[in-house]
Amino acid sequence: MGDWAGYLTLILGGAWVTVKLTILGSALALVVAFVAGLGRLSRRAALRWTATAYIEFFRGTSIFVQLFWIYFVLPLTGVQLSPLQAGVMALGLNVGAYGAEVVRGAILAVPRDQYEACTAVNLTRFQRMRHVILPQALPLMLPTFGNNAIELLKATSVVSLISLADMTFQAQVVRSQTGNTLIPFAMILLIYFALSSIISFAIRRYERRVTRGLDGVR
Amino acid sequence: MDQPIIRIRDLQKSFGRLTVIDGLDLDIAKGEKLALIGPSGSGKTTILRILMTLEDISGGRIEVCGEPLFHMSRNGTEEPANDAHLHRMRRHIGMVFQHFNLFPHKTVLQNITLAPVLTQGATRADADRRGRDLLDMVGLADKADHMPSQLSGGQKQRVAIARALALQPQIMLFDEVTSALDPELVEEVLEVMHRLARETDMTMLLVTHEMGFAHDFADRVLFFDKGRIVEQGPPDQIFTAPQEDRTKSFLRKIIAAGQRV
Repeated sequence: MGDWAGYLTLILGGAWVTVKLTILGSALALVVAFVAGLGRLSRRAALRWTATAYIEFFRGTSIFVQLFWIYFVLPLTGVQLSPLQAGVMALGLNVGAYGAEVVRGAILAVPRDQYEACTAVNLTRFQRMRHVILPQALPLMLPTFGNNAIELLKATSVVSLISLADMTFQAQVVRSQTGNTLIPFAMILLIYFALSSIISFAIRRYERRVTRGLDGVR
Repeated sequence: MDQPIIRIRDLQKSFGRLTVIDGLDLDIAKGEKLALIGPSGSGKTTILRILMTLEDISGGRIEVCGEPLFHMSRNGTEEPANDAHLHRMRRHIGMVFQHFNLFPHKTVLQNITLAPVLTQGATRADADRRGRDLLDMVGLADKADHMPSQLSGGQKQRVAIARALALQPQIMLFDEVTSALDPELVEEVLEVMHRLARETDMTMLLVTHEMGFAHDFADRVLFFDKGRIVEQGPPDQIFTAPQEDRTKSFLRKIIAAGQRV
């Protein structure tokens, strides 16, 4: 039984890596989602094309391949990333591409009326986006952002392929050392589930906060 | 008359192959109260939307306060207005919409103060004070901290009027502002507009189906049909002694529908 305490520590250490990947990856995904989502709605054609190319490319290829490119091919151009940096980048760019479409869709879902009201009170395009459109689009984005964050959490296990010791990687280690599959994988099953429950819960709470006062509107 | 505050020459507007305004000429004097009436699809709302720069024009020319609205001169030649020019011109004009278009995520007071703070550099305190004065004027002083979703239609529309007034425009456009209201809420909105018409020298353009109100409110009534002004004149003349057949038949239908003119 004493061995299992050590194995548990191993898996919890892996869980910490998974949490770090999820938080940093989500943060990058969020930034990228807004930049690319707004880019797709830009008046400048070059920005629109760049954003579209990015979104289609990262949605259209697998995260596994993207990770290998970032970790093994990018160094050939002189950009050497640590496994964690490569993992965060692959996760963030991949999920950010999905998030960009969420941002775009939510912005387009704000009624035309609101744009016209902004013109009538003479706001600039930036003021309109910042003070009127985004605050109304954000509540529309949140449920899907929650899904995306959970997808990202589950995709973190792909980084074990570049030998980053995340939770899944550590479970494999325990499995090969003990010959026991049930216990390590039951453990990580529970931890993944607990982590995704935390994400769901946090998003729902935040959603309630930002939609306050908007009841009766949607 | 003096230099008109709005001067429209040979205005053309089409949506695709559909011509909505067909060679309109119109001068509006400063302080004048104008009612635009006519069947739906006659182009009257489009004129307000064009003046608010919500629509582009297809041809012709509009001047507001002596300056072209959709053109600007640069190096001696005229070219289409850019964002900065439109932004500058819009300061003269405010608009109230049929469906209020309040910002649902802002309180009543924030709806009114947002633009003065952002576009006119008003301080928070000044904007708040003026916003509360305006709410008082439209009879909603106690609703300042409510959300729009908690208000009735008539109250929303009065907030929308206060929001437009907060920017102190010289020209106010009212686009069927009572059409979306329950009948018993129409009066409270009309009452506010009456008071505005009496107490300010703002130029006001009103598109309406309330003929009785147009009669009481306006200095001049324009009857539109198919993108043109068919007939215009003082309300007494248009409503009691119209000259054109199309005006007569339109008013007959309105009276048949039970409205006072």
